[in-house]
Amino acid sequence: MIAPLAYTKPRSLAEALELLQIAHSLPLAGGTDLLVELKKSNKRPALLVDLKGIPDLDELALTADRGLRIGANVTMNRLIESGELVSAFPALTDAAMTVGTDQIRNRATVGGNLCHASPSADLAPPLFVLDTQLVVASLQGERRIPISALWQGAKQNTLQPGELIVQIEVPWPGAAAKMAFLKKMRTAGHDLALVNMAGLLDPVQGRCRICIGGCACTPVLLPGTDTLYQESRDPDQLTARLLALAEATIVPIDDVRASARYRREIVAVFLQRLLKLLAVETKGWGRC
Amino acid sequence: MLNPLEQTIISLQLRVNGLPVQEDVPAQMTLLEFLRQRLRLTGAKEGCGSGECGACTVLLDGRPVNACLVLAAEANDAEIRTIEGEARDGRLTPLQQAFIEHGAIQCGFCTSGMVLSAQALLERNPHPGREEIVEAIAGHLCRCTGYVQIVEAIESVAGKGS
Repeated sequence: MIAPLAYTKPRSLAEALELLQIAHSLPLAGGTDLLVELKKSNKRPALLVDLKGIPDLDELALTADRGLRIGANVTMNRLIESGELVSAFPALTDAAMTVGTDQIRNRATVGGNLCHASPSADLAPPLFVLDTQLVVASLQGERRIPISALWQGAKQNTLQPGELIVQIEVPWPGAAAKMAFLKKMRTAGHDLALVNMAGLLDPVQGRCRICIGGCACTPVLLPGTDTLYQESRDPDQLTARLLALAEATIVPIDDVRASARYRREIVAVFLQRLLKLLAVETKGWGRC
Repeated sequence: MLNPLEQTIISLQLRVNGLPVQEDVPAQMTLLEFLRQRLRLTGAKEGCGSGECGACTVLLDGRPVNACLVLAAEANDAEIRTIEGEARDGRLTPLQQAFIEHGAIQCGFCTSGMVLSAQALLERNPHPGREEIVEAIAGHLCRCTGYVQIVEAIESVAGKGS
């Protein structure tokens, strides 16, 4: 049972931002995390502000000049059902496909998935490697932050009270860029990630990005990988250097889903698998 | 404008199984509680209450959702389908009939949700492959029959018709 509260569904962003000034108000997007928390934790909001009546947050647009723009309310299934998106951003749609079940994906939103700030959020690794920016709105106006600035810690985001993520902006990667997403779960069905990982490799621009989730209190974008890639295009050498870097960067913990040691082993296996996937797709690291 | 903090009772208008429904509900009432307690539509069950088991699945504007994780207030203006609306004039749907013929039901607790998710899949894609069927029902836990008969029942309907 959920404790008594008030509910309102504004029709504009301005109205929603006003409502969120009220003490103990909380935004409600898909509700797939929030309603569970309202039932099982001590969270007792006085007012839920349902964001689903705000048309601005529903936009899903892929354009030549601005790349991909995802309104915060776009659901996981809307991402997956866009054929254009599946071919342009396969790592992102692969990740969205692994979020919960069909019922959850019909409700869970991209904005909500990010604001929940889970260290193992499945959309985080692909959005990190794609240099995603978030548009954050408040009564004071809009600001843009890189996605990595959203996480403060496990399930703690850096948004101020009264701020909302309204749009997720994903620039086009280079035309030669390849990307992939991997996720390890306890079962073959649906589960939160023990480890998830996304990679992007662009042989033309010399970009290599690897992001690992579930192995620290935030998703971890490995540092300095563009330089590593530019210095060592030999696949074996690059793999060895990235493995050492990942091993030194992640700080996994033991929890109900896996031990830290198991997570480290999975990271090593996944990193090699990911690099092979990207290499095959670029025909042997795309020496050009 | 009404003080937002006073909006604790919501005037709902929606359609359930094709019929218009109007009710005032507490803002914190879930769609599942509304269907079961107010409308006495008890086909959707509360299993886990946290979106894991799928026993509470209903169709909201044609899409399967966990009714335990949706507020009734969020279903305002929506079209809800529950298992009670599937059979018409005492005649089961081909999918319901197939569940019986394939022995895909034992205790029945998961069945209403299974049938609705499978029905939504078939309406979106009349000829899904096995993989799509398995994915469509992956959000439903069955602890009796296992899943083979259920998948076969859905496959038998997926192979037929236009």
